[in-house]
Amino acid sequence: MGLLTGKRVFSIVALCMMVGLLLLPIVIALPSPAIGEEAPAGDAAKKDGDKVEKGRDVYYKTEGIVVGAPAPKTTDGPKDYPRYNFESRVLIWFANQQHLYYGSFVLAVPIFCMIIEFMGVVTKDKALAKRYDQLAYDFIKISLTAYSLTAILGGILIFTFLTLYPAFFGYLSSIFRPVMHIYALMFVAESGTLYIYYYGWDKMKEGFLKWIHLSMSVVLNVIGTLLMFLANSWIGFMMSPAGVDEQGRYLGNIWHVIHTALWNPLNLHRILGNMAFGGGVVAAYAAYKFLAAKTDEDRAHYDWMGYIAMALGVAFLIPLPFAGYWLMREVYAYRQQMGITLMGGLLAWLFIIQATMIGILFLSSNYYLWQAMGRMRGAEKYQRYIKYLVFLLICGFLVFITPHTMVMTPAELKAMGGQQHPVLGNFGVMSAKNGGINVMITTTVLSFIWYMRGNKVSTVSWAKFGNIFMGVFFACAYVNIIWLAIYGYYIPANVRVGLSVPQVATTLSCLFFMFALNSVMMRGAKQMGPIEWGKISVRSQYALIMLATAFTWMMALMGYIRSSVRLFWHVNEIMRDNSPWAYTHTVGFAANMISFNVLFFWISILFVFWMGSLAAKKAPVEAKAGIPGSVPQPAASH
Amino acid sequence: MKALMSLGALIGVAGLLLLGGMIFNVIPSNTVRLVEGYMPMQMLFEFACFVAGFAGLSYMMSAMGMALPRFWQGIGFWAFVLLYLKFRVYPPIPFSVRAMYGTVSLVAVFMWVSASEEDWKKFKQPIMNVLDAQTGLNKLLRYAYLIVLPILIGGFSYNAMMPKSEEPIELRTVHPAPPASTKVHGKTYTLQTSQNPYRVNPEGKYDQEYTNANIVEQGMGRLMKPNANPWDEKNQGYLKYVREGGEIFFQNCHFCHGDNLNGRGLHAFAFNPIPANFTDPGTIAQLQETFIFWRVSKGGIGLPNEGFPWASVMPPWEQHLTVDEIWKVILFEYWHTGYYPRTWD
Repeated sequence: MGLLTGKRVFSIVALCMMVGLLLLPIVIALPSPAIGEEAPAGDAAKKDGDKVEKGRDVYYKTEGIVVGAPAPKTTDGPKDYPRYNFESRVLIWFANQQHLYYGSFVLAVPIFCMIIEFMGVVTKDKALAKRYDQLAYDFIKISLTAYSLTAILGGILIFTFLTLYPAFFGYLSSIFRPVMHIYALMFVAESGTLYIYYYGWDKMKEGFLKWIHLSMSVVLNVIGTLLMFLANSWIGFMMSPAGVDEQGRYLGNIWHVIHTALWNPLNLHRILGNMAFGGGVVAAYAAYKFLAAKTDEDRAHYDWMGYIAMALGVAFLIPLPFAGYWLMREVYAYRQQMGITLMGGLLAWLFIIQATMIGILFLSSNYYLWQAMGRMRGAEKYQRYIKYLVFLLICGFLVFITPHTMVMTPAELKAMGGQQHPVLGNFGVMSAKNGGINVMITTTVLSFIWYMRGNKVSTVSWAKFGNIFMGVFFACAYVNIIWLAIYGYYIPANVRVGLSVPQVATTLSCLFFMFALNSVMMRGAKQMGPIEWGKISVRSQYALIMLATAFTWMMALMGYIRSSVRLFWHVNEIMRDNSPWAYTHTVGFAANMISFNVLFFWISILFVFWMGSLAAKKAPVEAKAGIPGSVPQPAASH
Repeated sequence: MKALMSLGALIGVAGLLLLGGMIFNVIPSNTVRLVEGYMPMQMLFEFACFVAGFAGLSYMMSAMGMALPRFWQGIGFWAFVLLYLKFRVYPPIPFSVRAMYGTVSLVAVFMWVSASEEDWKKFKQPIMNVLDAQTGLNKLLRYAYLIVLPILIGGFSYNAMMPKSEEPIELRTVHPAPPASTKVHGKTYTLQTSQNPYRVNPEGKYDQEYTNANIVEQGMGRLMKPNANPWDEKNQGYLKYVREGGEIFFQNCHFCHGDNLNGRGLHAFAFNPIPANFTDPGTIAQLQETFIFWRVSKGGIGLPNEGFPWASVMPPWEQHLTVDEIWKVILFEYWHTGYYPRTWD
C-alpha cells in the first residue's frame, strides 16, 4: 500500500515536472518581445517624440510601430549566397525533406501510441488489452531511434541554412526570434517527456500509474503538435507573410507573424498528413517483418500490426483531401495568381501526379482490405462483387487524374481540333474531380464495411431491413455525389466551390452513419469463423509497402509544390530570391529529386528498423515471454 | 436473375459488335453520337453498360458450360479498354492520356483478377502451365515466348530510342498565372478586386445576380431567357451592354473565335492550336472576368514566361479597342456561352 502511494506521489511529481517543462519555455519567452523589441521602440518613442515610424501590415492592414529591419535586398555573390560548386537549393531541399520525413514520423507515431494504449486500457478482454499495450510499445520503440535522427537532421538543416542562405535565414530569425526560442525549448520538453514515457512503460503498467502513463502520452502529443504548429508558422510566413510592412519590417505583433493566412489550413493538413504517413510507415515495417517472419506466430503478430497501422493511416487519409481542398481554397483567397500557378498553370502537371498518387493510396488501401477478407471464413460472399467496386474506384480515379492541359504533339493537337478535348476536357476541371475523389472515398468506406462484416452474420431481427437500408443509402450517396459533380457545370464558380460541402457531407455520412449502423447490426452477430491472423496473401503486404511508398513520394511532391509556388521569392512579395537558382525546376528534375529523397528515406529507415530489431534481440527472456501478441488469439473484434 | 444476366449478355454482344465495326472501319465512330453537353457522362455510361454486358456474357457462358478462363477475361477486358479509347471516342484522344488510362486499366484488371486467392490461382493457371510446360503445346509456347518476348521488347526499345522527325511534345500552360495588376490605357487594374463596370442592373448598379439570371440557358440550344433579348431596343443596363459587346465581337473577334464562340471562326484553322473555344467548360468558365480582361488587352505577345511556348497570335486588343469596349465584349462572351465568371466570395 505504502509502495503504491509512493508510486502515486512519484508519478504525480513526474507529471507536474513535465507540465512545468512544457510551460518553462513559454515563461522564458514571454518577456522576450517586451524587453527585446517593444521596450526599445517605446523608449525611442519617448526620446524622439513624434519620430516613431509606423508601418502598415501587408496582410492584416493594421498599423504598427516598425521594430525590425527591412528584408535584405540580396545580390548574387558569396556574401548573401555562399556556395559549394553545387546548387545550394538542392542541398537545402534534401536536408529539409529528410528532416520533415523523420519529424512527421516521430510526431505521428506517439499519437498512434496514445490511441492504441488507450484502447488497451479500456478493453475488457485482458489478452487483447495486453496485445494493444505491446503494440503501442513496439510503435514507440521504432520512433525512438527515429527521434534522434530527427534532431540530427534538424541540426544539419539549420547549418545548411546558415552556411548557404545566411541573409535569408538571418532575416527570418530576426522576425521569429522568440518563436525559435520557444521551439528549441519545447523540443527539450518533448525529448524529456518521450524518454520518461518510454522508459517508464514497465514501471507504470498497471492501475492508476497506467493512467498517469497514458496522460503522459497526451502531454507528449500536445507538445509535439505545438512544435509542428510553430514550424508551420515559418513556412506560412514565407508563403503568405503577415505582421510586416511591405518592406518586410517587423511591426512588433508576433501573433500576426505566426497567424498568417495559410497557417491554420497548413496545420490541419500537416497533422492529418503526418498521421497518414506515420500509419503507412509502420504498416510497411509490419509488412517487411511479415514477409521476413519464419514462424506462424510472428506472421500473425505482424499481420495484425500491419492491419492496425493501415486502419489508422487510412482513417486519417480519408479526411486529408478535404483538408487539402480547404488549403487550396485559402491559397486562392490569399492570391489568385498563386492558386492558378498551382492548379491551372506552371505547377498543374505536378498536381496531376499528385492526383495519381492519391488514387494509388486509395487503390492500395482497398486492395489490402479485399485481400484481408481472405483470412476470414464467410467473406467469400462479398468477394464476387469486388469487380464492381474496382469499376467504381477506377472510374473515380480516371476522372480524378484526367489533366486539364493534355500533353500532345502538334499533330495530335490539330487532330483534336483545339486545346480542349470535348469529352475528356470536362473531366479536367474541379467539379468532376470532386466527384471522382468522393466516389473513391465512398467506395473505400464500403470496402471497410464489407471487411468488418466479412466473417459475421447479423442476428438482429431487423437485419434484412438494415442491409437494404445500407444498400439504398450507399446508392443514394453515389447518385448524389455524381449528380452534384454534373450540376457544378451549370452554376457560378463561387456556388460550385460551395457544392463540395454537400459532397463531403455525403461521403462523411456514409462513413459515420454506415459505420455506426453496421456496428449495431453486428453486435452479437454469428461468427462464421475466427479471423486467422497471418493467413493473408503476400500481395496484401506488398500493397502496404506500396501504400507507404506512395505516401512518402506524395509528401515530397506536395512539399515541393508548396515551396515552388513562391516562384522567385524567399518570402512572397517581400524578399526576393536573387540566387542563380530562383527558377522553377523542370517536372523531370523535380520527380528525380523526389525519388532520390524517397529512396534515401527508405534506406535510412530500414537502418532504424534494423536498430530496433537489435534491441528486441537483446530483450530479457522474461520480458519476451510476457509478449502477449506472440500467440495469435481469435479476435473477437476488428 | 437469369433474365437480367441474359439482357446484360445481349448488351455485351451488341456493344462488342458495334466496337468491332468501329475498329475495322465498317461503322463510323459517330454512328452512335457523343451528344454535345452530355459527352463525359455518356462515355462513363457506355463504359458501365459494357461492364454490365460483360458480366452478363460471362454468366451466360458459364451457364452453358463454356466459361471463358479468367486469364483471357482479364486480357480481353484490358484490350477492350484500349480499343474503346482508340476507336470509339472522337475526336482522337492524345496518346499521353490513352497511356495513362491504359496503365490504370491494367492495374484495375490486376486488382480484379487477384482480389481473391481463388481468382488469382485461376488467372495464373495458364501462365504456370506454360512455364511448367507439361504438354507439347505448352513447351512450344514456352519456346515461342522465349524468342518473341525479347524481340518485342527490343523492338519497343528501338522504336523509343530511334530519333524521330516529329515535332516535339509541348507541355503548354493554357491558363498561365496572371499578374497581380495590369495597366491598360494608362490605368492600373488589380486583377483580384476589379469588376466589370457594365455588369449592372437597369438601375445602373453592379449586380452579379441580376446579370447571371439573364444569360442564355446552358445545355443544348443555349436559348435566351424570356424577356432577356439583348437585341430588344427597350432593354437597358446589362442587356444593352451585352448587345454593344456583341457588335464589337462580331466586328473584331468572330473571325477567329467563331460566331458560336466555339473557336472555329473563318480563320481558325490557319492556326495551331486553333483559337480558344469559349463554350468549353475549361476556358472562360474557369476564370475571373479580370483574367479575360488582362488576356484580351495584352494578347499573345503579353503572355508571361510561364505561357511558353506562347502559342497564341491574339493581338493585344488594347491597341485597337477602348477599355470600355473590352469590358463589353467580355460581358457578351459570358452571356452567349451561358457561363458565369469565377468570383471569390
